[in-house]
Amino acid sequence: MKTSPKVPREVIESCKAGDQKAFAEIVFQSQRKVFNIAYRMLGNSEEAKDLAQEVFISVFDSIKDLREEVKFDSWLTQITLNHCRNRWKYLKRRQYFNSDSLDDSIETEDGEVPSAVHDPSDNPEALYEKKMIRELVQRGLQKLREDQRELLVLRDLQGFSYDEICELLGLPEGTIKSKLHRARMDLKRVLEGFAH
Amino acid sequence: MDCEKVRDRFSSLCEKELTPFEERAIKEHLSSCPACQKELEQFEKTMRWLHSVEDVEVPDGFLPGLYKKMKERKEITSAEKSGKRWLGLPFPLKLPAQAVAMVAIVFLVLYLTKMMPMRAYHPKETGQPSSPSSLEKKPEQVSADKEMKRERPNLQIAPGVPSRKDIGQAETAAPRKVEVPSSSMEVTKYQASDLKEAGRGKVPFSEEPERIEKGPSAREKLAFASKPAQEIVLRISDREKVISQLYKLAKQFGGEIITTEEDKFLASLPKSSFPQFEKELTRVSSSAGADRAIMRGRAMESAESESPGQVKKEIVEKKPATLATREESRMIVRIVLVQE
Repeated sequence: MKTSPKVPREVIESCKAGDQKAFAEIVFQSQRKVFNIAYRMLGNSEEAKDLAQEVFISVFDSIKDLREEVKFDSWLTQITLNHCRNRWKYLKRRQYFNSDSLDDSIETEDGEVPSAVHDPSDNPEALYEKKMIRELVQRGLQKLREDQRELLVLRDLQGFSYDEICELLGLPEGTIKSKLHRARMDLKRVLEGFAH
Repeated sequence: MDCEKVRDRFSSLCEKELTPFEERAIKEHLSSCPACQKELEQFEKTMRWLHSVEDVEVPDGFLPGLYKKMKERKEITSAEKSGKRWLGLPFPLKLPAQAVAMVAIVFLVLYLTKMMPMRAYHPKETGQPSSPSSLEKKPEQVSADKEMKRERPNLQIAPGVPSRKDIGQAETAAPRKVEVPSSSMEVTKYQASDLKEAGRGKVPFSEEPERIEKGPSAREKLAFASKPAQEIVLRISDREKVISQLYKLAKQFGGEIITTEEDKFLASLPKSSFPQFEKELTRVSSSAGADRAIMRGRAMESAESESPGQVKKEIVEKKPATLATREESRMIVRIVLVQE
């Protein structure tokens, strides 16, 4: 579970007053979270970088409207998710994800690597090294529905609490848990499909 | 507990959210169901994988790139605000703005039209139709008269006809105004000059101050003040009848009455039809039952004054070169009605 450091209230207030240094401080403290959510949602480093920058531009433009500084993290995540949804739709319309088959090379954190799917030894531990596991998870996420991916990213990758997820998505906890379980089971099936 | 229900609780089992009773029931099922046990193993492995995924590092140059993007965005926004503000206006605002602009243009055009040097001649002022070309002739006409005045300084005029001196006084202002007719200030000056002359009772076309405002414009007065190429003086008794016939005759001979002021008329006629027009005018005067005096030029004033009541027709030819009409085939005739 990873959590970004909380942005101090004074910094947020300074940023609201138009302080560029405060804005830079917010970016410095939040860029990792924003970029990683974007990367897991989109599966592409360049797209994620561009999207994260757009998110911070939105933050700079609209931080004056933020009434409760304590909810800054939640507000920032909400903006990030909205941008991700829009970008996902935009890329999907342009068939950005259509070429993504099991035999394609995939985008990894270190660049493009060939997909490692077949395990001739029937030994899962030997098949998936730590790095390859991350890439397979990333690829499995791309196979899920957007709302499922969102839940998995927030809960299992970014470590948000159920309360935070409920607030972000505006759904009751029971629904969140049910959907999250369905998403995990679907990811399990996808990953099993990769192995065979 | 069946397999479906057990598998639905895998997430809760992993997150330790089950009650002890539920946990015991699931574990009992798993111990007796290898399929569910395998499913749980796969599920736990997926969860391990998910949790093993670490954050990736943010690419280098994230913040400078962000600043660059913000700068570009700001420039685009300011360009849009300055250049395309009108296009960005909502339709409900555009329509009234366009309407106001349209009205402003119309008023501007009207204003400019009114301020034009060659102001359109208004028939209402004289009650007679007139062509725009007649106005264009006036400056040349005035210069022609000036020339004539220079050549014939000692001509005398018939009674009732404006004296040379008075006309000359009126003319002193007139030619200047004609040269620069667009200036409203000069027109006013001209009117003031007329008023001055009227005060002395010397200018025959001078009017009451109130009438000046409503009466013929300075331009029309100018036309009177200037000397026409031909001048005819008619002694009449029935004024209205003669005037109506005068218009008819002018029209009949392809001419027109350009301006009128009390008993003075300026007519534009084709040169060729002038003799015929003159004859007919004499006849009109006769039919009106009055003596007539027709005079060309101003040389016969003394002769006329000696024999009032008799029909006299005296002609003083003018130099053709002084006919400064724009269309050389036409001429200007001045007709003065003298009431018996």
